[in-house]
Amino acid sequence: MDPGTFLLLAALGSWVTLDTTSAGQFMVSRPFVAATLAGWVAGDPTQGALVGVLLESFHLSILPVGAARYPEGGSAAVVAGGSYAAHGGGAGTLLTVLVFALVWEWVAGESVRQMRHLNGRSLPYEEGSPADHVRLHWQALGTDLLRGLALTACGFVLLAGFVLLRQLAPPTPPAWQLGVALAAAAGLTASALSLFGGRAQALRFAAGAGLGILVGLVVA
Amino acid sequence: MGLSRGTRIRLVWRSFLAQGSWNYRTLIGTGFAVLLLPSLRRLHGDPEALEEAVRRHSVLFNSHPYFTPLAAGAVLRLEEEGTDPALVARFKDALRGPLGAIGDQLVWRSWRPAAVLLGMALWLAGLPWWLAVGSFLCVHNALHLWLRVWGVGAGYDAGLDLGSALRSVNFNALSRRAAGVGAVLCGFCVALLAVYATRAGGAEPVLAGVLGLGAAAAVAGGLFLGPRARRAGWLVVTLAWVAHALWALAS
Repeated sequence: MDPGTFLLLAALGSWVTLDTTSAGQFMVSRPFVAATLAGWVAGDPTQGALVGVLLESFHLSILPVGAARYPEGGSAAVVAGGSYAAHGGGAGTLLTVLVFALVWEWVAGESVRQMRHLNGRSLPYEEGSPADHVRLHWQALGTDLLRGLALTACGFVLLAGFVLLRQLAPPTPPAWQLGVALAAAAGLTASALSLFGGRAQALRFAAGAGLGILVGLVVA
Repeated sequence: MGLSRGTRIRLVWRSFLAQGSWNYRTLIGTGFAVLLLPSLRRLHGDPEALEEAVRRHSVLFNSHPYFTPLAAGAVLRLEEEGTDPALVARFKDALRGPLGAIGDQLVWRSWRPAAVLLGMALWLAGLPWWLAVGSFLCVHNALHLWLRVWGVGAGYDAGLDLGSALRSVNFNALSRRAAGVGAVLCGFCVALLAVYATRAGGAEPVLAGVLGLGAAAAVAGGLFLGPRARRAGWLVVTLAWVAHALWALAS
C-alpha cells in the first residue's frame, strides 16, 4: 500500500469515526459503506463490499440506544475493507481480516467509552462561561477525530502484520473460508428479522427469501 | 417573533454536531447548549443572563439525534416567550423519553436496517457497488434530513404543545411500513447469502453440501436466537479461523 493510499484511508477512518456519533450521522460509518469506500480507495471496491456485507451482518441487530455498550464498526471496517482490497482480495486472508475487524471494533468501542468519560470530566458544569462550553465541545470533537485517526492507522499496521504472518504459513482452501463467512452472514442477517417484528413478518420474510433464491440461481 | 430562515439554517446545521461532546454526565447536554448558543446570545444581551441560560441548557439532556432539532425549536420558542426556566427544565425532562423512544423505533429499529438491507440486496443481486451504497445513503438520509429540517420548524411552532407536532406525523405507520419492507429485504439477503455460501463449494459436491447445510443451520439459528445470534456468529467465525490457522501450522 503506497503512503498516499494509507493517508487517504486514515482520513476516511477519521471521517467514519466522527460520523458514528459526533458529527453528521449520515451512516457512512456503517460497515457496508465504510468497507466499500475503503476498498474503492485501495483500488478494489468489490472486495471492500464483500468485507462490508459480511461485517454489516454482525451489526444489523445492534441498537445504539442511550448509554449502551456496543462495538464501533466504522474504523474497523475501513481497516478490513482497505486491507483486503489492497492485498488483492482472495478468500485466503478473508477470515483473518474478518476476525481482526471483529476484535478491533471492540477495541474501538472501548475507546469510545473512555473518551466519553474524559468528556464528562473535562466539561464545565456549575462554572464556565459560554466560551468554555464551546471550546470544550470542539475539543471533544477534535479528540474523536484523533481517536479515529489513531484507530485506523494502528489497525492497518497491526492487520498488515497479521496478514504477513499468515502468509508465511501454507494457504488453506479459500472456498471454505468464503463459504463459512457467507453462511455466518446469512445466519446473522436472519437474526435481524427480530427488529422488524419477528414471527409477525414471517410471510414477508419468506416472500423475500423465495425471490432471493430465484435471483441467486440466476446470478450466481 | 418567528423563526427566521437564518436561525432555522443555523439550528439545523449545528444539530449535526450536537453529539460532539457526548459524555456519561450530561449526555448531550453541552452539545444542546452549544446548539442553542447563537439564539441565546440574541435573546440575552446581558452576559450574566447569557451565562445562566447556557448553564441551564448544558445540564443532563438526551434525545434521538435526528429529533434534537425538534426539541431545540420548541425550547427556543419557550426562551423567546420568557417562559419560567423551571418550566423549561421540566419540559426538557419530559421530552427525553418520548423523543428517544420514537427515534429509536423509527430510525434504529426500522428505517435504517431496512435501508442498509436494500443496499446489501442490490449489491448481492449483482448491481454496481456505487448504486448499492448510494441507494442506502439516499434512502436513509432522505428521512434523516427531513426529520432535522421539519423538526426545527415544527418544534418552534408547537412550543410547549410539542405533542401535537409529534401527532401530526404518523411515525408509527412509517415505522410499520419500513419494517414490512425490511422483512422482505431481510429474507432476500438471507437467501442470496445462503445460495452464495453453497456455491462457494464450487465443483466439489461434498463441500457445497456441507456449506449449504451449514448456511441453512445458521439461518435457522439466526431466526431462533435473534440479537443473541451475534455471539454465535462471532464464535463460528473465530473458531473457523483458529481451525484454519491450526491446519496451516500442521501442514
